[in-house]
Amino acid sequence: MDEENTDSISQDLDNDSKMVLVGSGVRIEGRIDGAESTDVSGSLSGTLKSSRISINTSGSFNGDMNGQDVVISGNVEGEITSEDTIIVNQSAKIKGTIEYSSLQVSYGAKLEGSLRHRGSIQNYSTVTSVSDENIEGAESNIDEKTEDVENNTDEEDNQ
Amino acid sequence: MSIFGSNEKKEETNTTFLFDTEKDTINQSNLAKDIKIHGSLEAKDYIEFSGNINGTIKSSTVNIRQAGFVKGTVSGDSVTIEGEIDGDIQAKDLYIKSTAKIKGTIRYTNIDIQNGSIINADLFYSS
Repeated sequence: MDEENTDSISQDLDNDSKMVLVGSGVRIEGRIDGAESTDVSGSLSGTLKSSRISINTSGSFNGDMNGQDVVISGNVEGEITSEDTIIVNQSAKIKGTIEYSSLQVSYGAKLEGSLRHRGSIQNYSTVTSVSDENIEGAESNIDEKTEDVENNTDEEDNQ
Repeated sequence: MSIFGSNEKKEETNTTFLFDTEKDTINQSNLAKDIKIHGSLEAKDYIEFSGNINGTIKSSTVNIRQAGFVKGTVSGDSVTIEGEIDGDIQAKDLYIKSTAKIKGTIRYTNIDIQNGSIINADLFYSS
Protein backbone atom coordinates (compact mmCIF):
# COMPACT_ATOMS: atom_id res chain seq x y z
CA MET A 1 0.00 0.00 0.00
CA ASP A 2 2.70 2.47 1.03
CA GLU A 3 4.66 1.84 -2.12
CA GLU A 4 1.62 2.33 -4.32
CA ASN A 5 0.86 5.62 -2.61
CA THR A 6 4.36 6.98 -3.01
CA ASP A 7 4.30 5.83 -6.62
CA SER A 8 1.09 7.69 -7.37
CA ILE A 9 2.36 10.82 -5.62
CA SER A 10 5.60 10.86 -7.55
CA GLN A 11 3.65 10.28 -10.77
CA ASP A 12 1.47 13.24 -9.96
CA LEU A 13 4.55 15.30 -9.34
CA ASP A 14 6.03 14.20 -12.66
CA ASN A 15 2.89 15.10 -14.56
CA ASP A 16 2.26 18.35 -12.77
CA SER A 17 5.69 19.22 -11.56
CA LYS A 18 5.01 22.95 -11.56
CA MET A 19 2.23 22.66 -9.05
CA VAL A 20 2.26 24.26 -5.63
CA LEU A 21 -0.11 22.89 -3.02
CA VAL A 22 -0.43 24.57 0.35
CA GLY A 23 -2.56 22.28 2.44
CA SER A 24 -5.00 23.33 5.10
CA GLY A 25 -3.20 24.37 8.27
CA VAL A 26 0.13 24.81 6.50
CA ARG A 27 1.87 28.18 6.59
CA ILE A 28 4.36 29.30 3.98
CA GLU A 29 6.18 32.60 3.75
CA GLY A 30 8.36 33.63 0.88
CA ARG A 31 8.45 33.91 -2.86
CA ILE A 32 7.05 31.49 -5.38
CA ASP A 33 7.86 31.97 -9.03
CA GLY A 34 7.40 29.95 -12.20
CA ALA A 35 4.59 27.80 -10.90
CA GLU A 36 1.94 26.52 -13.29
CA SER A 37 -0.76 25.93 -10.78
CA THR A 38 -1.01 27.02 -7.15
CA ASP A 39 -3.65 25.77 -4.81
CA VAL A 40 -3.82 27.33 -1.36
CA SER A 41 -5.95 25.94 1.44
CA GLY A 42 -3.53 27.01 4.15
CA SER A 43 -1.77 30.29 4.61
CA LEU A 44 0.65 31.78 2.15
CA SER A 45 2.34 35.13 2.45
CA GLY A 46 4.86 36.74 0.19
CA THR A 47 5.07 36.99 -3.57
CA LEU A 48 3.38 34.50 -5.83
CA LYS A 49 3.64 34.16 -9.57
CA SER A 50 1.73 31.30 -11.13
CA SER A 51 -0.45 30.83 -14.22
CA ARG A 52 -3.32 29.39 -12.28
CA ILE A 53 -3.97 30.44 -8.71
CA SER A 54 -6.70 29.18 -6.47
CA ILE A 55 -7.15 30.49 -2.93
CA ASN A 56 -9.66 28.11 -1.42
CA THR A 57 -12.27 28.84 1.22
CA SER A 58 -9.99 27.94 4.11
CA GLY A 59 -6.97 29.53 2.44
CA SER A 60 -5.48 32.93 2.98
CA PHE A 61 -2.91 34.94 1.11
CA ASN A 62 -0.98 38.01 2.10
CA GLY A 63 1.17 39.84 -0.40
CA ASP A 64 1.36 40.25 -4.14
CA MET A 65 0.05 37.65 -6.54
CA ASN A 66 0.34 37.56 -10.27
CA GLY A 67 -1.44 35.02 -12.45
CA GLN A 68 -3.56 34.40 -15.48
CA ASP A 69 -6.53 32.50 -14.14
CA VAL A 70 -7.15 33.43 -10.55
CA VAL A 71 -9.92 32.05 -8.37
CA ILE A 72 -10.42 33.51 -4.91
CA SER A 73 -12.68 31.86 -2.35
CA GLY A 74 -10.69 32.70 0.78
CA ASN A 75 -9.00 35.71 2.34
CA VAL A 76 -6.60 37.87 0.42
CA GLU A 77 -4.78 40.97 1.55
CA GLY A 78 -2.52 42.69 -0.92
CA GLU A 79 -2.33 43.03 -4.63
CA ILE A 80 -3.88 40.73 -7.21
CA THR A 81 -2.82 41.08 -10.82
CA SER A 82 -4.27 38.93 -13.55
CA GLU A 83 -3.72 39.03 -17.28
CA ASP A 84 -6.76 36.90 -17.88
CA THR A 85 -9.64 36.03 -15.59
CA ILE A 86 -10.29 36.65 -11.92
CA ILE A 87 -13.22 34.86 -10.34
CA VAL A 88 -14.17 35.95 -6.85
CA ASN A 89 -16.52 33.58 -5.11
CA GLN A 90 -19.13 34.34 -2.51
CA SER A 91 -16.96 33.32 0.45
CA ALA A 92 -14.05 35.55 -0.55
CA LYS A 93 -12.72 38.51 1.41
CA ILE A 94 -10.27 40.74 -0.40
CA LYS A 95 -8.50 43.85 0.82
CA GLY A 96 -6.20 45.60 -1.57
CA THR A 97 -5.79 46.31 -5.24
CA ILE A 98 -7.14 44.14 -8.02
CA GLU A 99 -5.77 44.67 -11.49
CA TYR A 100 -7.75 42.63 -13.97
CA SER A 101 -8.71 42.01 -17.56
CA SER A 102 -11.85 40.09 -16.82
CA LEU A 103 -13.46 40.02 -13.40
CA GLN A 104 -16.42 38.14 -12.05
CA VAL A 105 -17.61 38.63 -8.49
CA SER A 106 -20.34 36.57 -6.88
CA TYR A 107 -22.94 38.21 -4.69
CA GLY A 108 -21.78 38.08 -1.09
CA ALA A 109 -18.06 38.51 -1.63
CA LYS A 110 -16.42 41.32 0.32
CA LEU A 111 -14.02 43.53 -1.57
CA GLU A 112 -12.27 46.56 -0.24
CA GLY A 113 -9.68 48.59 -2.06
CA SER A 114 -9.33 49.44 -5.71
CA LEU A 115 -10.29 47.82 -8.96
CA ARG A 116 -8.17 48.60 -11.97
CA HIS A 117 -9.00 47.37 -15.44
CA ARG A 118 -5.83 46.64 -17.36
CA GLY A 119 -5.11 49.02 -20.20
CA SER A 120 -8.39 50.89 -19.99
CA ILE A 121 -7.26 54.19 -18.53
CA GLN A 122 -8.34 56.06 -21.67
CA ASN A 123 -11.38 53.86 -22.06
CA TYR A 124 -13.97 56.38 -20.91
CA SER A 125 -15.91 58.54 -23.31
CA THR A 126 -13.18 58.28 -25.89
CA VAL A 127 -15.49 57.03 -28.63
CA THR A 128 -15.62 60.44 -30.30
CA SER A 129 -11.99 61.34 -29.74
CA VAL A 130 -10.83 58.02 -31.18
CA SER A 131 -12.83 58.54 -34.35
CA ASP A 132 -11.47 62.11 -34.50
CA GLU A 133 -7.97 60.69 -34.49
CA ASN A 134 -8.93 58.32 -37.27
CA ILE A 135 -10.26 61.18 -39.32
CA GLU A 136 -7.12 63.22 -38.77
CA GLY A 137 -4.92 60.30 -39.67
CA ALA A 138 -6.88 59.70 -42.83
CA GLU A 139 -6.66 63.35 -43.78
CA SER A 140 -2.92 63.42 -43.45
CA ASN A 141 -2.49 60.23 -45.43
CA ILE A 142 -5.05 60.14 -48.20
CA ASP A 143 -7.30 63.08 -48.79
CA GLU A 144 -9.71 61.13 -50.98
CA LYS A 145 -10.54 58.66 -48.26
CA THR A 146 -11.21 61.32 -45.70
CA GLU A 147 -14.78 61.69 -46.82
CA ASP A 148 -15.41 57.97 -46.55
CA VAL A 149 -14.00 57.84 -43.06
CA GLU A 150 -16.05 60.82 -42.03
CA ASN A 151 -19.18 59.30 -43.50
CA ASN A 152 -18.48 56.04 -41.74
CA THR A 153 -17.95 57.66 -38.40
CA ASP A 154 -21.06 59.72 -38.89
CA GLU A 155 -23.01 56.56 -39.50
CA GLU A 156 -21.48 54.95 -36.47
CA ASP A 157 -22.36 57.94 -34.36
CA ASN A 158 -25.93 57.78 -35.57
CA GLN A 159 -26.18 54.16 -34.61
CA MET B 1 -38.70 71.38 -17.70
CA SER B 2 -38.84 71.82 -21.42
CA ILE B 3 -36.49 68.98 -22.24
CA PHE B 4 -39.05 66.51 -21.01
CA GLY B 5 -41.36 67.42 -23.86
CA SER B 6 -44.96 68.43 -23.50
CA ASN B 7 -46.88 65.16 -23.55
CA GLU B 8 -45.72 63.65 -20.30
CA LYS B 9 -47.85 63.55 -17.26
CA LYS B 10 -45.66 64.80 -14.51
CA GLU B 11 -46.51 63.85 -10.98
CA GLU B 12 -44.45 63.59 -7.88
CA THR B 13 -43.66 59.92 -8.02
CA ASN B 14 -44.70 59.00 -11.51
CA THR B 15 -42.90 60.38 -14.50
CA THR B 16 -43.32 57.97 -17.36
CA PHE B 17 -41.59 58.45 -20.65
CA LEU B 18 -42.32 57.16 -24.09
CA PHE B 19 -41.92 53.39 -23.91
CA ASP B 20 -41.91 50.21 -21.89
CA THR B 21 -45.58 49.69 -21.22
CA GLU B 22 -45.38 46.04 -20.23
CA LYS B 23 -44.30 46.76 -16.71
CA ASP B 24 -46.57 48.12 -14.06
CA THR B 25 -45.91 51.80 -14.31
CA ILE B 26 -47.13 52.78 -10.89
CA ASN B 27 -44.31 54.53 -9.09
CA GLN B 28 -41.97 53.66 -11.88
CA SER B 29 -39.95 56.10 -13.92
CA ASN B 30 -38.45 55.22 -17.26
CA LEU B 31 -36.19 57.77 -18.80
CA ALA B 32 -35.51 57.07 -22.42
CA LYS B 33 -32.49 57.66 -24.56
CA ASP B 34 -31.66 61.18 -25.72
CA ILE B 35 -32.83 62.74 -22.51
CA LYS B 36 -30.21 64.96 -20.95
CA ILE B 37 -30.54 66.13 -17.41
CA HIS B 38 -28.49 68.50 -15.34
CA GLY B 39 -29.53 68.13 -11.76
CA SER B 40 -31.06 65.58 -9.49
CA LEU B 41 -33.52 62.83 -10.21
CA GLU B 42 -35.34 61.20 -7.33
CA ALA B 43 -38.15 58.68 -7.08
CA LYS B 44 -39.52 56.57 -4.27
CA ASP B 45 -39.59 53.14 -5.81
CA TYR B 46 -38.01 52.66 -9.19
CA ILE B 47 -36.01 54.53 -11.79
CA GLU B 48 -34.98 53.02 -15.07
CA PHE B 49 -32.58 55.36 -16.79
CA SER B 50 -31.31 55.27 -20.36
CA GLY B 51 -30.52 58.94 -20.69
CA ASN B 52 -27.62 61.17 -19.86
CA ILE B 53 -27.43 62.90 -16.51
CA ASN B 54 -24.97 65.22 -14.91
CA GLY B 55 -26.03 65.08 -11.30
CA THR B 56 -27.70 62.65 -8.95
CA ILE B 57 -30.05 59.70 -9.29
CA LYS B 58 -31.69 58.34 -6.20
CA SER B 59 -34.41 55.76 -5.75
CA SER B 60 -35.11 52.55 -3.90
CA THR B 61 -34.35 50.59 -7.06
CA VAL B 62 -32.24 52.11 -9.79
CA ASN B 63 -31.47 50.54 -13.13
CA ILE B 64 -29.00 52.36 -15.36
CA ARG B 65 -29.52 50.79 -18.76
CA GLN B 66 -26.86 50.19 -21.32
CA ALA B 67 -27.43 53.53 -23.07
CA GLY B 68 -27.44 55.40 -19.79
CA PHE B 69 -24.64 57.68 -18.70
CA VAL B 70 -24.32 59.20 -15.28
CA LYS B 71 -21.77 61.75 -14.26
CA GLY B 72 -22.34 62.20 -10.57
CA THR B 73 -23.95 60.01 -7.98
CA VAL B 74 -26.22 56.98 -8.16
CA SER B 75 -27.70 55.73 -4.92
CA GLY B 76 -30.35 53.24 -3.91
CA ASP B 77 -31.11 50.02 -2.08
CA SER B 78 -30.82 47.93 -5.19
CA VAL B 79 -28.77 49.37 -8.03
CA THR B 80 -28.13 47.71 -11.38
CA ILE B 81 -25.56 49.19 -13.74
CA GLU B 82 -25.54 48.30 -17.42
CA GLY B 83 -24.33 51.67 -18.66
CA GLU B 84 -21.57 54.10 -17.85
CA ILE B 85 -20.95 55.82 -14.53
CA ASP B 86 -18.40 58.47 -13.78
CA GLY B 87 -18.72 59.26 -10.10
CA ASP B 88 -20.05 57.62 -6.97
CA ILE B 89 -22.30 54.62 -6.52
CA GLN B 90 -23.95 53.83 -3.22
CA ALA B 91 -26.02 50.70 -2.91
CA LYS B 92 -27.01 47.95 -0.53
CA ASP B 93 -27.27 45.50 -3.39
CA LEU B 94 -25.18 46.42 -6.38
CA TYR B 95 -25.32 44.47 -9.62
CA ILE B 96 -22.75 45.39 -12.24
CA LYS B 97 -23.55 43.88 -15.63
CA SER B 98 -21.13 42.92 -18.38
CA THR B 99 -21.77 46.10 -20.40
CA ALA B 100 -21.03 48.44 -17.51
CA LYS B 101 -18.21 50.97 -17.41
CA ILE B 102 -17.55 52.49 -14.04
CA LYS B 103 -15.07 55.06 -12.87
CA GLY B 104 -15.08 56.52 -9.39
CA THR B 105 -16.11 55.27 -5.99
CA ILE B 106 -18.33 52.34 -5.05
CA ARG B 107 -19.90 51.92 -1.63
CA TYR B 108 -21.85 48.73 -1.15
CA THR B 109 -23.04 46.00 1.17
CA ASN B 110 -23.46 43.26 -1.42
CA ILE B 111 -21.84 43.33 -4.80
CA ASP B 112 -22.18 41.16 -7.87
CA ILE B 113 -19.96 41.80 -10.88
CA GLN B 114 -20.42 40.19 -14.26
CA ASN B 115 -17.53 39.20 -16.42
CA GLY B 116 -16.82 41.84 -19.07
CA SER B 117 -17.49 44.98 -17.10
CA ILE B 118 -14.82 47.66 -17.00
CA ILE B 119 -14.34 49.07 -13.55
CA ASN B 120 -11.73 51.49 -12.32
CA ALA B 121 -12.95 52.36 -8.89
CA ASP B 122 -12.27 52.44 -5.20
CA LEU B 123 -14.39 49.97 -3.30
CA PHE B 124 -15.76 50.47 0.18
CA TYR B 125 -17.68 47.77 1.94
CA SER B 126 -20.11 48.54 4.72
CA SER B 127 -22.40 46.13 6.54
